[in-house]
Amino acid sequence: MPPLRLGGIAWSRSAFLRMNVHGEHQENEMNTAEPERHPVGPGAERPSGAMDRDARARFERLVGEHLDGLYRVARRLTRNQAGAEDLVQEAMLKAWRSFHTFREGTNMRAWLYRILMNAHIDRHRKDARTPEVLQEEIGDAYLYAGAREGLALSENGNPETQVLDQIMDAEVRESLDALPVAFRTAVMLVDVEGFSYKEAAEILGVPVGTVMSRLYRGRQALKRRLAAFARDRHFISGAQA
Amino acid sequence: MNCHDAVEKLWQYLDHELDGAAVPELERHLQECRDCFSRAEFERHLRALLRRSCGCEQAPAGLRARLHRLLGMF
Repeated sequence: MPPLRLGGIAWSRSAFLRMNVHGEHQENEMNTAEPERHPVGPGAERPSGAMDRDARARFERLVGEHLDGLYRVARRLTRNQAGAEDLVQEAMLKAWRSFHTFREGTNMRAWLYRILMNAHIDRHRKDARTPEVLQEEIGDAYLYAGAREGLALSENGNPETQVLDQIMDAEVRESLDALPVAFRTAVMLVDVEGFSYKEAAEILGVPVGTVMSRLYRGRQALKRRLAAFARDRHFISGAQA
Repeated sequence: MNCHDAVEKLWQYLDHELDGAAVPELERHLQECRDCFSRAEFERHLRALLRRSCGCEQAPAGLRARLHRLLGMF
């Protein structure tokens, strides 16, 4: 079979089989101390024939069910459509390779997202020497306070929430995309995709406390950016940015 | 529970991640404190806004078709 090109990477079936269960390449530094127990990976044990067709149908159903969510997260990770499509494709091929090793009761949804995250990290391994700075200054979130000051005299409904209603969907996405990737991802997984802290921690491979802190900082930073939009459009008062 | 404690626990509460015992205590405070109630409403709205603006995006039809074809090759 000729190599398959995905995201600028030529895939051969043998390269595809060298990945471990979470979509990580076996040849990374973490694994050199331990000899490979499966020279061609557990994929070599893949059942064939009718069982294979059955597994493929189940896998396709699973992916179909979660594809929108996976694409949404990929879209925010890559910040462009073509990159997001490439990332989802690559991740789902990796997931298919180890799909047969999973039993009933596994949190398949969280597992798919984890593979997506790992595929993204794998792609940016080269940039690891210059990691994205997470120390963005996080002050108070001015949006709420500004909304109160600017519209507190409104008689109808809750003035603070009315400010939020004025913000366009595209402005929210733009604001989210401007956050450091670690914050952006935590907000996407919990606020948009509805994962629990524990699930998000498993997907990201970090402790629950880290998820909570990234969520907190991400939401604060997001509110500051939304406040800037609201201020520019004179929905709220406050110092000019 | 005072306002400082309430705000600190608010996000966990809204994420349905707050410990059982703290939930009724926080809910009582939200019923009694107009400021914290408004803050909670605001945070709820923000989540709804995020979910609406980022959660409505769908995978392109072309991606679905391509995945089906690619999975058939492996």
